[in-house]
Amino acid sequence: MEGTAVLGRLAWREATILAIRQETPDVKTLVLDVPGWPGHAAGQHVDIRLTAEDGYQAQRSYSIASAPDSPDFELTVERIDDGEVSPYLTDDAVPGDGFELRGPIGGYFVWRPGGAEPLLLVGGGSGVVPLMAMLRHRRDTGDETDARLLLSERTLEDVIYRAELEELAAGSVRVGITLTRAEAPPGWEGWTRRIDRDMLTEVGPDPALRPRAYVCGPTPFVEEAARLLVELGHEPARVHTERFGPTGG
Amino acid sequence: MEEGSLHTDGNAIAGMLQEVFVAEITAAGRICQSCGLDSQIGAHRHYAGAGHVLRCPGCGNVAAVIAVLPDRNVISLHGTWSLARTSE
Repeated sequence: MEGTAVLGRLAWREATILAIRQETPDVKTLVLDVPGWPGHAAGQHVDIRLTAEDGYQAQRSYSIASAPDSPDFELTVERIDDGEVSPYLTDDAVPGDGFELRGPIGGYFVWRPGGAEPLLLVGGGSGVVPLMAMLRHRRDTGDETDARLLLSERTLEDVIYRAELEELAAGSVRVGITLTRAEAPPGWEGWTRRIDRDMLTEVGPDPALRPRAYVCGPTPFVEEAARLLVELGHEPARVHTERFGPTGG
Repeated sequence: MEEGSLHTDGNAIAGMLQEVFVAEITAAGRICQSCGLDSQIGAHRHYAGAGHVLRCPGCGNVAAVIAVLPDRNVISLHGTWSLARTSE
């Protein structure tokens, strides 16, 4: 990474919104310009800080959605009704607006291509965001790691990156989606229940292959998914978890 | 709300920890003095209240308490922390 003189020290930077993409009714992707951005690894996040006119500050963490080598730097943000930061980012902010951002942050929930172990990604809702950064990184680098994604969402229209997930599924990524709050849409071939052992077994890979697993989403989802993975024989130390809490912000 | 949904994990305060340590710390390992589990800081449970508490993901023993004061953060550590840095 560049900037070894300040290695480890996090600086707040001014980020400017270049473009906004609606992903689902509650979720938008912000394309940002962040002068001096040092680069990131797939799975890392940033802290965003908003300051009100009276000096009150609110700070939240958001996963980086874009791959490390992507020309666009993107965050994907889900609107939380009673949140302090996300309603501004998803409802009010327009291209040209700015806010403070620091990062990249984190080293535990990070995947780098080139390892021999299969990759198992399990996401609940917007927990798919850092997992998508990993899948995009794998695609962009031509990495051939065996990769699987199990995604749990409320309804089909809530599935973030749906078209891109379909493209990945048509390629070499095994993608399974389960819808937890919906009648199955006509022609739906995925699951319609909460995540369970059978689902994880079907998505694979075999725990004996010692996959690196990354589980991200609301805390109850992550607790359940991680528990099931360990029950199925996955090594606890290889099950990496990132919990959003009961809600984000 | 379920009690189990109140916590997040070490990732959630990775930025604050990096302020304190001036280094990325969530990939560092810690051996719990209570149950002996060796786990990474990012995998520890995080509880936010007046300050921040990190707990062992295995037994819940306290790993760190961080007091957020107006002009500084004060962190107290428990158990055996080990941070390996790749040499350049």
